[in-house]
Amino acid sequence: MSRALSWLLRHAAATLTLSVAFFAVASPAASADADLIARGKYMATASDCVACHTAPGGAAMAGGLPLATPIGAIMSTNVTPSKQNGIGNYTLEQFDAAVRKGVRADGKHLYPAMPYTAYALLTDGDVAALYAYFMNGVEPVETRPPETKLPFPFDIRLSMAAWNLLFLENGPYKPDPAHDAEWNRGAYLARGAAHCGTCHTPRNLLMAEKTSSEMAGGDIGFWHAPNITSDANSGIGGWSVEELIAYMRDGQIAKSQAAGPMAEAIDHSLRFLTEEDLKAMAVYLKTVPPVRDAADTQPVFAWGEPSDELAIIRGTALPQDLDTMSGPQLYDAYCATCHQAQGQGSFEGGLPSLMHNTALGRENTNNLVMVILGGLHRQPEVLMPGFASELSDAQVATLSTYLVLHFGNPAGKVTAAQVTTLRAGGASSTWLIWAARIGLAVGALVVVVILLFLFARTRRRAGQNEAARAP
Amino acid sequence: MADTLSADFVVVGSGIIGSLAARKLALAGASVIILEAGPRVTRAELVARFRNSTRRSDWMSPYPPAPWAPHPVYQPESNNYLMQAGPYPYAAEYIRQVGGTTWHWAAHAWRNVPNDFRIKSLYDVGVDWPMTYADLEPFYQEAEEIMGVSGADNTGSPRTKPFPMEPVAEPHAMRRLRERLAPDYEVVTNTTARNSRSYDGRPACCGNNSCQPICPIDAQYHGGLSADAAQAAGAKLIANANVYKLEHDEKGNITAALYYDPDKVSHRVTGKTFIVAANGIESPRLLLLSTSGKFPNGLANSSDMVGRNLMDHPSTSLTFDADEEVWLGRGPQSPSSINFMRDGPFRSEHSPYRLDFTNISRVDGATRSLIAAGVYGSELVKRLRYSAAHEMNVKNVLEVLPDPERRITLSSEKDAMGIPKPEAHYSIDDYTRKGHERSQQDFRRIAELMGGTNLRFSKEGEFANNQHICGTLSMGDNPKASVCDQWGRTYDHENLFLAGTAVLPTSSTCNSTENGLAVALRSAAHILEQQGASTGVTGEAKS
Amino acid sequence: MTPLSEQVDAPNLVRRGLLAGFVCAYTASLIPWALAQEAADADQGAFLALSAILAGRQSLDAAQAARLYAALVAEDPGFPASAKALLDTIEQRKIDPMQLQKILDTEKSPLSALPRRIVTAWYMGIVGDGAKARCLAFETALNAEAVADVLKPPTYAYGAYGSWTRKPV
Repeated sequence: MSRALSWLLRHAAATLTLSVAFFAVASPAASADADLIARGKYMATASDCVACHTAPGGAAMAGGLPLATPIGAIMSTNVTPSKQNGIGNYTLEQFDAAVRKGVRADGKHLYPAMPYTAYALLTDGDVAALYAYFMNGVEPVETRPPETKLPFPFDIRLSMAAWNLLFLENGPYKPDPAHDAEWNRGAYLARGAAHCGTCHTPRNLLMAEKTSSEMAGGDIGFWHAPNITSDANSGIGGWSVEELIAYMRDGQIAKSQAAGPMAEAIDHSLRFLTEEDLKAMAVYLKTVPPVRDAADTQPVFAWGEPSDELAIIRGTALPQDLDTMSGPQLYDAYCATCHQAQGQGSFEGGLPSLMHNTALGRENTNNLVMVILGGLHRQPEVLMPGFASELSDAQVATLSTYLVLHFGNPAGKVTAAQVTTLRAGGASSTWLIWAARIGLAVGALVVVVILLFLFARTRRRAGQNEAARAP
Repeated sequence: MADTLSADFVVVGSGIIGSLAARKLALAGASVIILEAGPRVTRAELVARFRNSTRRSDWMSPYPPAPWAPHPVYQPESNNYLMQAGPYPYAAEYIRQVGGTTWHWAAHAWRNVPNDFRIKSLYDVGVDWPMTYADLEPFYQEAEEIMGVSGADNTGSPRTKPFPMEPVAEPHAMRRLRERLAPDYEVVTNTTARNSRSYDGRPACCGNNSCQPICPIDAQYHGGLSADAAQAAGAKLIANANVYKLEHDEKGNITAALYYDPDKVSHRVTGKTFIVAANGIESPRLLLLSTSGKFPNGLANSSDMVGRNLMDHPSTSLTFDADEEVWLGRGPQSPSSINFMRDGPFRSEHSPYRLDFTNISRVDGATRSLIAAGVYGSELVKRLRYSAAHEMNVKNVLEVLPDPERRITLSSEKDAMGIPKPEAHYSIDDYTRKGHERSQQDFRRIAELMGGTNLRFSKEGEFANNQHICGTLSMGDNPKASVCDQWGRTYDHENLFLAGTAVLPTSSTCNSTENGLAVALRSAAHILEQQGASTGVTGEAKS
Repeated sequence: MTPLSEQVDAPNLVRRGLLAGFVCAYTASLIPWALAQEAADADQGAFLALSAILAGRQSLDAAQAARLYAALVAEDPGFPASAKALLDTIEQRKIDPMQLQKILDTEKSPLSALPRRIVTAWYMGIVGDGAKARCLAFETALNAEAVADVLKPPTYAYGAYGSWTRKPV
């Protein structure tokens, strides 16, 4: 951080006047062939473009999905080949600059809601394929979402350049000769197109990914993207490659079920990838250097034993004030139906066990609360209904405490105040899709604020000097 | 009078039909007040009450009556709310709480077969409906899309649009029935308001086998969801508002509904149009209670037809032990039927019927039977497992014809609020008995095809009731023989409409909710059309 | 559920003995595990022995036994004496459990209601009659446990959608 800041200070002047440089990419053939378009479509899926550029119920890639940030909405753009409203006039070079450098055709910088820091790793060939797909495989849509209009000073897009200089990786992915082709394919996808680190790598104070803690887990809005390093306790070290593949493909295995932004990533992107690519990513993830969280004294999927407290509630009426229902009463009424009386799940595991499940094995309980409130959804199925409209904050806290004590890591705590916060933040559904991107945008805005602060201080000092000189 | 409330529409009853009619009116922009006699109850409370119940085969046990708005219960002893005048007892069950009786049902959502609308013309029994199958078809579809109905096409009720969902997955036991009864009988998957996939934000069925008394996961549609949807559409729902009288002006138009709160404080709700949707017993009761100098026999009753033509579906049954393990209790409670006797020339002679296979777990019943028989020790475990694995049951669902002598009247006894209780006058006639007799050959053949032993027919002369209360406010084209017209508008009061299964002119062989709901949605569309509002048939409920 | 050996009942610890100490030869032969089982006192020992004979189980949950016993005593203060008397009758006359009810009914025994009350408690989880009945167990009632390998108690999900189409094993 301090190094980054000093670097920033040294280069501030330069970056503010930075002009955008295009860099040359080999021109593709004038008409893209079907294979190239198909490859581009596959890479667009792997890159989860629709997550942001297709609004729910809207036309494909026509944009218009707002990312609510504390200082205003950032609007996703129309990236269909419409010449008037989309990117139909983009040359390959301009397209490439947008995808890998975050620079629009008009030279303005994109807010890094667009994960171009990850896309920077894409190979020239894949960028060309993406270009072929967007120009030929996407229907032009003649609608233009409203421009993103952030209040001054956050509308200074050029200052993004400063951030970019700090954190944008230079050049496409370079295979590591120490590893085989499968591993390199996995690393390329996981760090590039699939941009796993966007959520799973923690961020520094400027909201850039901490490369020293790759995949060690990050907070994205109200969700926690867990540690997916190779650590046996905190990460996925104890998962088999087959389990990782099944998880990315189906979103659910016995020890873990995807929720929130991860469920969306699977719905939109991961489940469409080939078994080979999923395996490659799994192989790569299993080699990411382990990072362990202190609370994880055993694997996060290893907590809990079958148990219940039914004996103390049978034959006892519920309290008049349902807010005072006990943990076992709440578990009995809301959870036991599917997860069964002792948390053991159904025959053959179709309805998952709560024991030996990452859902209850972590000290960070935000995801648990978010799932109780919002449920688990895998398009088009409701795998678990949410209980936001049925359970009060106090009830969620009581219930969660019962859950972690019986089936999870007792270090996990849930308070009613936490539920209140998460309920308020999680109420909007569209931001879930954007949660993965929000950190980048916030980081960019932090840079803007720092720059403005420095600028203003300089001006003020100058002004004070003027004043001092005045007679 | 503690307060005065007013709306374009005042709906009495928050059950599935009242609530969904209210929702439709509210979606069109009207102001709507729903008055519900009973309390609000959550699904969690119902699940907890069931698991803590001492009578788990008594599906009313999770629904104790509210003192200020009682409904009939019979266990552990009868509360004598529904008085019995005979000659045959009519042990009706229904629920007075927000959402009404479909909190517990098997969610059968059959449409009539087309001939059900014309049994007088075709078979010279009963009455014809004042509408045809084609008239009602779009509203069947609307009802099915709101509720989320799954079903198979081979049930004799033609469709212009597909079911919202595929049939629910067939339990192994029902597959064995279907396989072993073919080709003598065609066993079809039931048409039910049960999710075979996620629908409208509710999950697919998980086979909890407690459709009655409570689906714990809302995979089955119920009136509580309707009440939520009505409120989401803007209707105001007042619970614990026990309407005891409707008032009228000199012209006979209804002006107000009077209700008691639990403390018996009276409140008055005024409106432009009133819809009574309080079920087949409480709706006629309210009209009969609302006497005045101008209407000494109660409202809408110039024909003297209010409360008459009480119908339901009596059933007799056969329980037997199949020669293979089928283990009823896996999957939904009521998955499959045989439909071939729902219509035919025989209807001139005897009742038509649907044959209905249960998939309710036998464990509770078998345990009680074995304990009653004094079976103890290791033999108890052995026989319990045998019964749970082998027992099967088939019942008939018999049509009852409209008969003015079968009726609901006011009792001389009063309930806890000082309001006269309802009284049932009921009988099983030869038409229905003959239907029962005809079905016995099917019972025997089905048992034979399943290698059945230990055949236990229900006691001769005893008919179980199916709680499909209908007919007591019959609609028809003849004002002298019916209470309301085909739109549910009462012949005596311009602004008083009736909705619910009470308006159905005949009971046919299908559970009454789908029919009652489709007719009510048709009425609501007509009301809106008359008032110049948009009537767009709404699609899936977005609540 | 707490195994019998772990039952914590400190004040009664000194009075506790092996179930075998409370039953005689014939009934002990009906309960092969009696030698390994503890009971708080002779009264509860008689209840446990009767329960074992009537329920026909190789083991009974101690915590559940204690709850059911307390409820049965609360319902009928004479229950301990009746249970002891019934156990003695079975012992002295070497009555097979399957013949027990018939014999008690034929002889119009004052104990004839007792077996049903005990078996209903264990198998239905219910103690008492009519409006006074109490539910003490549902999922752990023995009728649920007897079929737990194939069926879930009603309201508990059988499994993910469609899992019930498979042949039960």
